[in-house]
Amino acid sequence: MADVVTVPQVQPVQPALRFLRFIPGVLLLAAVGYAGKLLEQNVGAYAKAHHWIFPNIEYVLWAIVLGLLISNTVGVPEIFRTGVASYEFWLKAGIVLLGARFLLGDILKLGGVSLVLVAIEIVGSLAFMTFLGRLFKLKPKLTTLLAVGSAVCGVSAIIATKGAIEADDEDSSFSIAAILALGALALFTFPVIGHFLHLSDKAYGLWAGLGVDNTAEATAAGALYSDAAGKLAVLVKSTRNAMIGFVVLAYAIYWASKGQAQAVRNKATFLWQKFPKFVLGFLLISVLATYQFFNKDQVGALANLSRWAFLLTFAGVGLRTNFSEMRKQGLRPFAVGAIGEVVIAGFTLALVCGASKIFGW
Amino acid sequence: MSAELEAGKTETRWKLSLDTWAVVVALLLALLVRTGVLKHIPW
Repeated sequence: MADVVTVPQVQPVQPALRFLRFIPGVLLLAAVGYAGKLLEQNVGAYAKAHHWIFPNIEYVLWAIVLGLLISNTVGVPEIFRTGVASYEFWLKAGIVLLGARFLLGDILKLGGVSLVLVAIEIVGSLAFMTFLGRLFKLKPKLTTLLAVGSAVCGVSAIIATKGAIEADDEDSSFSIAAILALGALALFTFPVIGHFLHLSDKAYGLWAGLGVDNTAEATAAGALYSDAAGKLAVLVKSTRNAMIGFVVLAYAIYWASKGQAQAVRNKATFLWQKFPKFVLGFLLISVLATYQFFNKDQVGALANLSRWAFLLTFAGVGLRTNFSEMRKQGLRPFAVGAIGEVVIAGFTLALVCGASKIFGW
Repeated sequence: MSAELEAGKTETRWKLSLDTWAVVVALLLALLVRTGVLKHIPW
Protein backbone atom coordinates (compact mmCIF):
# COMPACT_ATOMS: atom_id res chain seq x y z
CA MET A 1 0.00 0.00 0.00
CA ALA A 2 1.55 3.27 -0.96
CA ASP A 3 1.97 5.96 1.70
CA VAL A 4 1.14 8.78 -0.62
CA VAL A 5 -2.53 9.65 -0.85
CA THR A 6 -3.45 11.79 -3.80
CA VAL A 7 -5.98 14.44 -2.86
CA PRO A 8 -7.80 15.91 -5.85
CA GLN A 9 -7.07 19.61 -6.00
CA VAL A 10 -10.03 21.92 -6.30
CA GLN A 11 -9.12 24.58 -8.81
CA PRO A 12 -11.00 27.82 -8.24
CA VAL A 13 -12.70 28.91 -11.45
CA GLN A 14 -11.06 32.08 -12.70
CA PRO A 15 -13.50 35.01 -13.07
CA ALA A 16 -12.32 35.51 -16.68
CA LEU A 17 -13.07 31.86 -17.48
CA ARG A 18 -16.47 32.13 -15.83
CA PHE A 19 -17.19 35.20 -17.95
CA LEU A 20 -16.13 33.37 -21.14
CA ARG A 21 -18.68 30.63 -20.46
CA PHE A 22 -21.47 33.16 -20.93
CA ILE A 23 -20.37 34.32 -24.37
CA PRO A 24 -21.77 31.54 -26.65
CA GLY A 25 -25.22 31.62 -25.02
CA VAL A 26 -25.41 35.43 -24.97
CA LEU A 27 -24.48 35.45 -28.66
CA LEU A 28 -27.27 32.91 -29.29
CA LEU A 29 -29.73 35.14 -27.39
CA ALA A 30 -28.62 38.12 -29.50
CA ALA A 31 -28.85 36.13 -32.77
CA VAL A 32 -32.35 34.79 -32.00
CA GLY A 33 -33.56 38.19 -30.75
CA TYR A 34 -32.12 40.05 -33.75
CA ALA A 35 -33.57 37.46 -36.15
CA GLY A 36 -36.95 38.20 -34.52
CA LYS A 37 -36.44 41.91 -35.11
CA LEU A 38 -35.48 41.32 -38.77
CA LEU A 39 -38.51 39.07 -39.27
CA GLU A 40 -40.81 41.76 -37.86
CA GLN A 41 -39.38 44.32 -40.29
CA ASN A 42 -39.22 42.12 -43.37
CA VAL A 43 -42.15 39.69 -43.20
CA GLY A 44 -44.68 42.53 -42.92
CA ALA A 45 -43.07 44.46 -45.78
CA TYR A 46 -42.86 41.32 -47.97
CA ALA A 47 -46.51 40.44 -47.31
CA LYS A 48 -47.56 44.02 -48.12
CA ALA A 49 -45.52 44.06 -51.35
CA HIS A 50 -47.23 40.83 -52.45
CA HIS A 51 -50.70 42.01 -51.34
CA TRP A 52 -51.01 39.22 -48.78
CA ILE A 53 -53.16 39.58 -45.72
CA PHE A 54 -50.75 38.88 -42.88
CA PRO A 55 -51.03 40.09 -39.26
CA ASN A 56 -48.31 42.41 -38.00
CA ILE A 57 -46.28 40.17 -35.71
CA GLU A 58 -44.01 42.02 -33.30
CA TYR A 59 -40.37 41.10 -32.70
CA VAL A 60 -41.34 39.97 -29.19
CA LEU A 61 -43.43 37.09 -30.56
CA TRP A 62 -40.93 36.23 -33.34
CA ALA A 63 -38.07 36.03 -30.82
CA ILE A 64 -40.08 33.80 -28.44
CA VAL A 65 -41.34 31.54 -31.25
CA LEU A 66 -37.83 31.15 -32.76
CA GLY A 67 -36.47 30.30 -29.30
CA LEU A 68 -39.27 27.78 -28.71
CA LEU A 69 -38.59 26.16 -32.10
CA ILE A 70 -34.88 25.73 -31.34
CA SER A 71 -35.45 24.52 -27.78
CA ASN A 72 -38.15 21.98 -28.73
CA THR A 73 -36.57 20.61 -31.92
CA VAL A 74 -32.77 20.55 -32.00
CA GLY A 75 -32.47 21.57 -28.34
CA VAL A 76 -30.00 23.99 -26.75
CA PRO A 77 -26.49 22.44 -26.70
CA GLU A 78 -24.61 22.48 -23.38
CA ILE A 79 -22.11 25.13 -24.51
CA PHE A 80 -24.91 27.71 -24.87
CA ARG A 81 -26.79 26.96 -21.64
CA THR A 82 -24.87 29.20 -19.22
CA GLY A 83 -25.30 32.21 -21.48
CA VAL A 84 -28.96 31.45 -22.25
CA ALA A 85 -29.65 31.33 -18.50
CA SER A 86 -28.39 34.95 -18.31
CA TYR A 87 -31.71 36.14 -19.80
CA GLU A 88 -32.83 36.93 -16.19
CA PHE A 89 -29.87 39.29 -15.88
CA TRP A 90 -30.84 41.11 -19.11
CA LEU A 91 -34.45 41.30 -17.93
CA LYS A 92 -33.46 43.01 -14.70
CA ALA A 93 -30.97 45.37 -16.35
CA GLY A 94 -33.69 46.22 -18.91
CA ILE A 95 -36.20 47.01 -16.15
CA VAL A 96 -33.71 49.31 -14.38
CA LEU A 97 -33.05 51.18 -17.66
CA LEU A 98 -36.79 51.36 -18.37
CA GLY A 99 -37.02 53.55 -15.24
CA ALA A 100 -35.85 56.45 -17.45
CA ARG A 101 -39.24 56.39 -19.20
CA PHE A 102 -41.19 56.81 -15.97
CA LEU A 103 -41.56 60.08 -14.13
CA LEU A 104 -41.73 59.73 -10.37
CA GLY A 105 -45.23 61.29 -10.29
CA ASP A 106 -46.53 58.59 -12.67
CA ILE A 107 -44.98 55.87 -10.55
CA LEU A 108 -46.53 57.23 -7.37
CA LYS A 109 -49.93 57.62 -9.07
CA LEU A 110 -49.95 54.23 -10.82
CA GLY A 111 -47.91 52.56 -8.09
CA GLY A 112 -50.52 53.58 -5.50
CA VAL A 113 -53.37 52.00 -7.48
CA SER A 114 -51.31 48.96 -8.40
CA LEU A 115 -50.17 48.51 -4.78
CA VAL A 116 -53.79 48.15 -3.65
CA LEU A 117 -54.58 45.75 -6.51
CA VAL A 118 -51.36 43.79 -5.85
CA ALA A 119 -52.24 43.42 -2.15
CA ILE A 120 -55.71 42.09 -3.03
CA GLU A 121 -54.22 39.77 -5.69
CA ILE A 122 -51.57 38.36 -3.35
CA VAL A 123 -53.99 37.65 -0.47
CA GLY A 124 -56.64 36.17 -2.81
CA SER A 125 -54.12 34.03 -4.75
CA LEU A 126 -52.39 32.67 -1.63
CA ALA A 127 -55.73 31.74 -0.06
CA PHE A 128 -57.08 30.10 -3.21
CA MET A 129 -53.90 28.14 -4.03
CA THR A 130 -53.69 26.88 -0.43
CA PHE A 131 -57.31 25.71 -0.66
CA LEU A 132 -56.62 23.97 -4.02
CA GLY A 133 -53.46 22.29 -2.70
CA ARG A 134 -55.46 20.85 0.24
CA LEU A 135 -58.30 19.80 -2.07
CA PHE A 136 -55.87 17.90 -4.34
CA LYS A 137 -53.98 16.53 -1.31
CA LEU A 138 -50.62 17.96 -2.41
CA LYS A 139 -47.74 17.98 0.09
CA PRO A 140 -48.09 21.11 2.31
CA LYS A 141 -44.68 22.54 1.34
CA LEU A 142 -45.37 21.93 -2.37
CA THR A 143 -48.66 23.81 -1.90
CA THR A 144 -46.76 26.69 -0.24
CA LEU A 145 -44.32 26.86 -3.19
CA LEU A 146 -47.11 26.83 -5.78
CA ALA A 147 -49.05 29.47 -3.81
CA VAL A 148 -46.04 31.79 -3.55
CA GLY A 149 -45.11 31.22 -7.22
CA SER A 150 -48.63 32.12 -8.37
CA ALA A 151 -49.22 35.00 -5.98
CA VAL A 152 -45.91 36.86 -6.07
CA CYS A 153 -43.33 36.37 -8.74
CA GLY A 154 -42.90 32.96 -10.23
CA VAL A 155 -39.53 31.27 -10.21
CA SER A 156 -37.64 33.81 -8.03
CA ALA A 157 -40.30 33.57 -5.32
CA ILE A 158 -40.22 29.77 -5.41
CA ILE A 159 -36.42 29.70 -5.09
CA ALA A 160 -36.48 32.25 -2.24
CA THR A 161 -39.22 30.34 -0.41
CA LYS A 162 -37.59 26.94 -0.95
CA GLY A 163 -34.52 28.06 1.01
CA ALA A 164 -36.57 29.72 3.75
CA ILE A 165 -38.96 26.82 4.45
CA GLU A 166 -36.47 24.02 3.68
CA ALA A 167 -38.64 22.43 0.99
CA ASP A 168 -37.47 19.44 -1.10
CA ASP A 169 -35.69 19.91 -4.42
CA GLU A 170 -38.39 17.79 -6.03
CA ASP A 171 -41.16 20.08 -4.76
CA SER A 172 -39.42 23.18 -6.03
CA SER A 173 -38.73 21.68 -9.46
CA PHE A 174 -42.42 20.61 -9.69
CA SER A 175 -43.53 24.13 -8.82
CA ILE A 176 -41.05 25.82 -11.15
CA ALA A 177 -42.08 23.54 -14.06
CA ALA A 178 -45.79 24.24 -13.44
CA ILE A 179 -45.28 28.00 -13.17
CA LEU A 180 -43.09 28.11 -16.31
CA ALA A 181 -45.51 26.01 -18.38
CA LEU A 182 -48.44 28.17 -17.30
CA GLY A 183 -46.42 31.34 -17.94
CA ALA A 184 -45.79 30.14 -21.51
CA LEU A 185 -49.53 29.59 -21.98
CA ALA A 186 -50.36 33.02 -20.51
CA LEU A 187 -47.95 34.60 -22.97
CA PHE A 188 -50.14 33.54 -25.87
CA THR A 189 -53.61 33.69 -24.29
CA PHE A 190 -53.46 37.06 -22.45
CA PRO A 191 -53.02 39.24 -25.59
CA VAL A 192 -55.78 37.34 -27.42
CA ILE A 193 -58.21 37.81 -24.50
CA GLY A 194 -57.14 41.45 -24.11
CA HIS A 195 -57.90 42.20 -27.78
CA PHE A 196 -61.13 40.21 -27.63
CA LEU A 197 -62.31 42.30 -24.66
CA HIS A 198 -60.98 45.55 -26.24
CA LEU A 199 -59.02 46.36 -23.08
CA SER A 200 -57.23 49.71 -23.05
CA ASP A 201 -53.41 49.67 -22.87
CA LYS A 202 -53.63 50.72 -19.23
CA ALA A 203 -56.15 48.06 -18.23
CA TYR A 204 -54.30 45.32 -20.15
CA GLY A 205 -50.88 46.35 -18.76
CA LEU A 206 -52.28 46.19 -15.23
CA TRP A 207 -53.83 42.79 -15.91
CA ALA A 208 -50.64 41.33 -17.41
CA GLY A 209 -48.60 42.63 -14.45
CA LEU A 210 -51.08 41.18 -11.95
CA GLY A 211 -52.02 37.92 -13.65
CA VAL A 212 -48.81 36.58 -15.26
CA ASP A 213 -46.47 35.03 -12.71
CA ASN A 214 -42.94 35.16 -14.01
CA THR A 215 -41.42 38.62 -14.61
CA ALA A 216 -40.03 37.71 -18.06
CA GLU A 217 -43.39 36.38 -19.25
CA ALA A 218 -45.29 39.34 -17.72
CA THR A 219 -42.95 41.76 -19.55
CA ALA A 220 -43.36 39.84 -22.82
CA ALA A 221 -47.15 39.47 -22.46
CA GLY A 222 -47.39 43.26 -21.92
CA ALA A 223 -45.06 44.09 -24.83
CA LEU A 224 -47.03 41.76 -27.13
CA TYR A 225 -50.09 44.02 -26.64
CA SER A 226 -48.45 47.45 -27.01
CA ASP A 227 -45.45 49.48 -25.87
CA ALA A 228 -47.56 51.37 -23.31
CA ALA A 229 -49.09 48.14 -21.96
CA GLY A 230 -45.60 46.63 -21.70
CA LYS A 231 -44.36 49.60 -19.63
CA LEU A 232 -47.28 49.31 -17.24
CA ALA A 233 -47.01 45.53 -16.96
CA VAL A 234 -43.36 45.96 -15.85
CA LEU A 235 -44.36 48.57 -13.24
CA VAL A 236 -47.13 46.43 -11.74
CA LYS A 237 -45.01 43.27 -11.84
CA SER A 238 -42.17 45.12 -10.08
CA THR A 239 -44.64 46.19 -7.37
CA ARG A 240 -45.55 42.50 -6.95
CA ASN A 241 -41.87 41.55 -6.85
CA ALA A 242 -41.26 44.11 -4.10
CA MET A 243 -43.64 42.11 -1.87
CA ILE A 244 -41.59 38.92 -2.12
CA GLY A 245 -39.68 39.45 1.14
CA PHE A 246 -42.82 39.93 3.25
CA VAL A 247 -44.57 36.85 1.85
CA VAL A 248 -41.50 34.61 2.17
CA LEU A 249 -40.89 35.92 5.72
CA ALA A 250 -44.48 35.10 6.71
CA TYR A 251 -44.13 31.53 5.38
CA ALA A 252 -40.69 31.10 6.99
CA ILE A 253 -42.16 32.10 10.38
CA TYR A 254 -45.16 29.78 9.86
CA TRP A 255 -43.00 26.72 8.99
CA ALA A 256 -40.53 27.53 11.80
CA SER A 257 -43.45 27.64 14.27
CA LYS A 258 -44.28 24.08 13.16
CA GLY A 259 -40.67 23.07 13.75
CA GLN A 260 -40.15 22.29 10.05
CA ALA A 261 -37.82 25.19 9.18
CA GLN A 262 -35.12 27.24 10.89
CA ALA A 263 -36.29 30.27 12.87
CA VAL A 264 -35.65 33.68 11.31
CA ARG A 265 -33.16 35.47 13.56
CA ASN A 266 -33.06 38.96 12.07
CA LYS A 267 -36.22 39.91 10.20
CA ALA A 268 -34.82 43.17 8.76
CA THR A 269 -31.77 41.38 7.28
CA PHE A 270 -34.05 38.63 5.95
CA LEU A 271 -36.27 41.22 4.21
CA TRP A 272 -33.25 43.01 2.72
CA GLN A 273 -31.76 39.74 1.43
CA LYS A 274 -35.02 38.76 -0.29
CA PHE A 275 -35.85 42.25 -1.61
CA PRO A 276 -35.38 42.46 -5.40
CA LYS A 277 -32.64 45.09 -5.79
CA PHE A 278 -33.56 45.86 -9.40
CA VAL A 279 -36.73 47.58 -8.09
CA LEU A 280 -34.44 50.07 -6.27
CA GLY A 281 -32.37 50.53 -9.46
CA PHE A 282 -35.56 51.18 -11.44
CA LEU A 283 -36.69 53.81 -8.88
CA LEU A 284 -33.26 55.47 -8.84
CA ILE A 285 -33.15 55.87 -12.65
CA SER A 286 -36.72 57.15 -12.56
CA VAL A 287 -35.83 59.77 -9.90
CA LEU A 288 -32.83 60.86 -12.00
CA ALA A 289 -35.03 61.15 -15.12
CA THR A 290 -37.68 63.10 -13.19
CA TYR A 291 -35.07 65.67 -12.06
CA GLN A 292 -33.75 65.95 -15.65
CA PHE A 293 -30.39 64.38 -14.98
CA PHE A 294 -30.75 63.00 -18.53
CA ASN A 295 -31.73 65.13 -21.54
CA LYS A 296 -34.35 64.01 -24.07
CA ASP A 297 -31.85 62.26 -26.37
CA GLN A 298 -30.25 60.48 -23.42
CA VAL A 299 -33.67 59.24 -22.24
CA GLY A 300 -34.21 57.92 -25.79
CA ALA A 301 -30.83 56.17 -25.70
CA LEU A 302 -31.60 54.56 -22.31
CA ALA A 303 -35.02 53.43 -23.57
CA ASN A 304 -33.33 51.79 -26.58
CA LEU A 305 -30.75 50.09 -24.35
CA SER A 306 -33.67 48.74 -22.33
CA ARG A 307 -35.29 47.43 -25.55
CA TRP A 308 -32.08 45.60 -26.52
CA ALA A 309 -31.90 44.03 -23.06
CA PHE A 310 -35.53 42.90 -23.38
CA LEU A 311 -34.79 41.50 -26.85
CA LEU A 312 -32.27 39.11 -25.28
CA THR A 313 -34.80 38.30 -22.52
CA PHE A 314 -37.56 37.37 -24.97
CA ALA A 315 -35.20 35.11 -26.92
CA GLY A 316 -34.24 33.48 -23.59
CA VAL A 317 -37.90 32.90 -22.63
CA GLY A 318 -38.32 30.81 -25.80
CA LEU A 319 -34.96 29.04 -25.56
CA ARG A 320 -35.39 27.87 -21.98
CA THR A 321 -38.97 26.58 -22.47
CA ASN A 322 -38.88 22.86 -23.21
CA PHE A 323 -42.31 21.23 -23.24
CA SER A 324 -41.09 17.62 -23.04
CA GLU A 325 -39.05 18.44 -19.89
CA MET A 326 -42.16 20.01 -18.36
CA ARG A 327 -44.31 16.96 -19.16
CA LYS A 328 -41.90 14.77 -17.16
CA GLN A 329 -42.73 16.66 -13.94
CA GLY A 330 -46.13 15.04 -13.50
CA LEU A 331 -49.74 16.08 -13.84
CA ARG A 332 -51.12 16.84 -10.37
CA PRO A 333 -49.07 19.96 -9.47
CA PHE A 334 -49.61 21.16 -13.04
CA ALA A 335 -53.38 20.64 -12.70
CA VAL A 336 -53.43 22.57 -9.40
CA GLY A 337 -51.34 25.33 -10.98
CA ALA A 338 -53.53 25.43 -14.09
CA ILE A 339 -56.83 25.65 -12.18
CA GLY A 340 -55.29 28.25 -9.87
CA GLU A 341 -53.93 30.33 -12.75
CA VAL A 342 -57.24 30.35 -14.63
CA VAL A 343 -59.09 31.48 -11.49
CA ILE A 344 -56.40 34.08 -10.64
CA ALA A 345 -56.46 35.39 -14.25
CA GLY A 346 -60.27 35.75 -14.03
CA PHE A 347 -60.05 37.32 -10.56
CA THR A 348 -57.37 39.85 -11.59
CA LEU A 349 -59.28 40.66 -14.79
CA ALA A 350 -62.35 41.44 -12.68
CA LEU A 351 -60.19 43.60 -10.36
CA VAL A 352 -58.77 45.53 -13.32
CA CYS A 353 -62.20 45.99 -14.94
CA GLY A 354 -63.51 47.29 -11.59
CA ALA A 355 -60.58 49.70 -11.25
CA SER A 356 -61.05 50.82 -14.91
CA LYS A 357 -64.67 51.77 -14.16
CA ILE A 358 -63.72 53.64 -10.96
CA PHE A 359 -60.80 55.54 -12.51
CA GLY A 360 -62.31 55.89 -16.01
CA TRP A 361 -59.42 54.22 -17.92
CA MET B 1 -6.60 22.95 2.27
CA SER B 2 -5.62 26.49 3.10
CA ALA B 3 -5.55 27.29 -0.60
CA GLU B 4 -9.11 26.04 -0.86
CA LEU B 5 -10.16 28.13 2.11
CA GLU B 6 -8.44 31.10 0.53
CA ALA B 7 -10.29 30.46 -2.74
CA GLY B 8 -13.55 30.18 -0.79
CA LYS B 9 -12.86 33.51 0.89
CA THR B 10 -12.15 35.18 -2.45
CA GLU B 11 -15.39 33.82 -3.94
CA THR B 12 -17.46 35.14 -1.01
CA ARG B 13 -15.85 38.53 -1.28
CA TRP B 14 -16.90 38.88 -4.92
CA LYS B 15 -20.29 37.21 -4.70
CA LEU B 16 -22.96 39.71 -5.71
CA SER B 17 -26.51 38.61 -6.46
CA LEU B 18 -27.75 38.58 -10.05
CA ASP B 19 -30.06 41.45 -9.14
CA THR B 20 -27.21 43.57 -7.84
CA TRP B 21 -25.06 42.87 -10.92
CA ALA B 22 -27.97 43.86 -13.17
CA VAL B 23 -28.37 47.14 -11.26
CA VAL B 24 -24.62 47.86 -11.36
CA VAL B 25 -24.39 47.21 -15.12
CA ALA B 26 -27.55 49.25 -15.85
CA LEU B 27 -26.29 52.20 -13.76
CA LEU B 28 -22.90 52.06 -15.48
CA LEU B 29 -24.61 52.12 -18.88
CA ALA B 30 -26.74 55.08 -17.73
CA LEU B 31 -23.56 56.86 -16.64
CA LEU B 32 -21.93 56.21 -20.02
CA VAL B 33 -24.99 57.68 -21.74
CA ARG B 34 -25.04 60.67 -19.37
CA THR B 35 -21.34 61.45 -19.90
CA GLY B 36 -21.72 61.17 -23.67
CA VAL B 37 -19.51 58.08 -24.12
CA LEU B 38 -22.57 56.30 -25.53
CA LYS B 39 -24.24 58.94 -27.66
CA HIS B 40 -26.71 57.29 -29.96
CA ILE B 41 -28.25 53.87 -29.37
CA PRO B 42 -30.14 52.80 -32.49
CA TRP B 43 -33.20 50.57 -32.43
